[in-house]
Amino acid sequence: MKRSRRGGYWVFLLPSALLFTAVVVVPFLMNVGIGFTRWQGIGAPKWIGLDNYTRLLADERFWASFRNNVALIVAMAIIPTIIGLVLAATLFDHVGKKFGPRTAGALRAAYYLPQVLPVAVAGIVWGWIMHPRFGALNELLGLLGMEPRNWLGDPSWALPSVMAIMVWFQIGYPVVIFMAGLQRVDPALYEAAETDGASWWRRFWHITITQIRPEIYVVLLTCTIAALKVFGPIFVLTRGGPGGATLVPSYFSYQNFFEKANVGYGSAIATVLTLLIIMVTVFFLRIQDRES
Amino acid sequence: MFKVRTGAVVAAVLLALAACGGAEQTPDQPAAAGPRVLKLWHYEGADSAMGKAWAESIKQFEASHPGVTVKLEEKAFEQIRQSAGMILNSDEAPDVMEYNKGNATAGLLSKQGLLTDLSPEVTKRGWDKLLSPSLQTTAKYDERGVMGAGKWFGIPNYAEYVLVYYNKDLFEKEGIEVPTTFDEFTAAMETFAKAGTTPLAVGGAEYQAQQLLYQLALSKAQRPWVDALQLYKGKVDFKGPEFTYAADTFADWVKKGYIGKDSAAIKAEDMGVSFIGGKYPILVSGSWWYGRFATEIKDFEWGSFLWPGNTMSAGSSGNIWVVPENAKNKDLAYDFIDITMRKDIQNLLGNSGGIPVAADPAAITDPKSKELIENFNRLSTSDGLAFYPDWPAPGYYDVLVSGVQNLINGTKTPDQVLDEIAGPYNENLADIGN
Repeated sequence: MKRSRRGGYWVFLLPSALLFTAVVVVPFLMNVGIGFTRWQGIGAPKWIGLDNYTRLLADERFWASFRNNVALIVAMAIIPTIIGLVLAATLFDHVGKKFGPRTAGALRAAYYLPQVLPVAVAGIVWGWIMHPRFGALNELLGLLGMEPRNWLGDPSWALPSVMAIMVWFQIGYPVVIFMAGLQRVDPALYEAAETDGASWWRRFWHITITQIRPEIYVVLLTCTIAALKVFGPIFVLTRGGPGGATLVPSYFSYQNFFEKANVGYGSAIATVLTLLIIMVTVFFLRIQDRES
Repeated sequence: MFKVRTGAVVAAVLLALAACGGAEQTPDQPAAAGPRVLKLWHYEGADSAMGKAWAESIKQFEASHPGVTVKLEEKAFEQIRQSAGMILNSDEAPDVMEYNKGNATAGLLSKQGLLTDLSPEVTKRGWDKLLSPSLQTTAKYDERGVMGAGKWFGIPNYAEYVLVYYNKDLFEKEGIEVPTTFDEFTAAMETFAKAGTTPLAVGGAEYQAQQLLYQLALSKAQRPWVDALQLYKGKVDFKGPEFTYAADTFADWVKKGYIGKDSAAIKAEDMGVSFIGGKYPILVSGSWWYGRFATEIKDFEWGSFLWPGNTMSAGSSGNIWVVPENAKNKDLAYDFIDITMRKDIQNLLGNSGGIPVAADPAAITDPKSKELIENFNRLSTSDGLAFYPDWPAPGYYDVLVSGVQNLINGTKTPDQVLDEIAGPYNENLADIGN
């Protein structure tokens, strides 16, 4: 009896299971398959076994792209999470209480704005801001008596510049999630701590962080995945340049797939990237399970 | 259940569409019956020279083909570049389309059997009589997909080349004459650099900087070197005099301040806009900028000249008309291509700032366009079109962008950069015909 009841629910899963199979599983398996071939995108693929993968492991650009990707995980997941926590707590505690929830809401929306802007538009505007000769940023620094820099064109500055832009892009997302999380926290906890004379920092550290730990995991996980997949901003800002200084795996895969007609090699890179994302996800979920 | 439901929805939508588009014909209709549609794809802006000439061609085509409508689908350059192969492999293919010339593009598709062999039509309609030999190079591909020989798979309708644009006002201010030799050209840049102006507008993030490097290599090159590099008719020594001179001189120009040290991440668009804004006296780039400069430069006088001292310059036929193997109305496609080669259409293209391949020189009235076309003819008749540096290998564009950025930033020595760009070229060489 009970079993048949449970069976009834499967019907509701069917539509999404079909969609998932058609949109995710089948293309992914095809991609894995193409990764074992030499193919120019048209004609018949030629089976070459693990050649793409051996080539990949020896490819300096592939490793460089992953190094850059680690930097972007820092810029897109770790830094925004830290800043987001502080901002959310400040908005929730101080701004919300002193200036009312409306002000806090308006500020939250302002932080979230970069998430809403199309990447292409924001990227081009940032390109103008950072233009070495006519950019607003260098003008500003000039007024402060500082040296102008070639932000996106100098190999030692390009990656830090992209990282800074990515922090700006990402910051709104953790703020919104954490503020929602803080709504759950029982005010009595804060009141008790305050009566005991705990400072704001101690309350932040012991109550805020521990209470909204699930939100922190969600944000870290989704932002890390976003950082591993990052493509648009790189495409618009630097195309992986100068001289490969900001190359990331997704753009590297795209280059091979579309620009170089190395579809097999591009697929192999995409497969490695997917496996990595799955591993990161499993790792996070494991930790979360253990925590709870 | 779910599947049945979507099936019903799709069917309903299709019925509704069919009800709206009653006049729409099924593509598989036999050629003789009823109204026909010529499906045309291209990616030129409506106000570009090509856009204007082809709009007129469509008009003339419809006038001379009663019962046929032309369905123009405007595409983006990137769209065609990245997905043409997959589209042409399906039955969604248009009847005639503009496609990129070169081994990695049209060559690759011809090798895969996705393009119609136009050779019989070329002889029948005399298109080969209209096109000079160097323009024909990009129209023919052999069985390996290498350009320059074999069957005709495309028809170029216009041409392009790399030249020097200059700001007359800034030249006058410094008292500089139009340079006619390479030494005069260098001296002119030196004068600007001494006066605190960076003479060359350079876009290191895209195609322009690599074409500048190529111009320098061509100044030391002969035709056999180009044939070796582009048509694989011999071994190319990347450490030979041509490329060595190019890389060394390029690095030297950065050092001397002729090329901005901050130009590595500048995109072509920004480079063009800075020239339009009068910020740089010289821009070395393609004739494709010409129409835009003509309409947008209002604040100063400008002109153009051939790169001084070179017999060869980057340049080629423009993109080509191709007829997909799966096209359903090939006869109409040939007629359309034929119209775009007519004198009056070609003259219109020339007077709109483009470079026609078969115009009547006397019919070009605009003095600036005349200068542009005369310079092109000078190159073309002396067999001076040397194609583009990124053509020899698929994805070579990115390799060159990266290499030239390293030259601009000084992150690699010229010698190291030559190694960087030699590798992928030689890798591709091993793959030719596979």
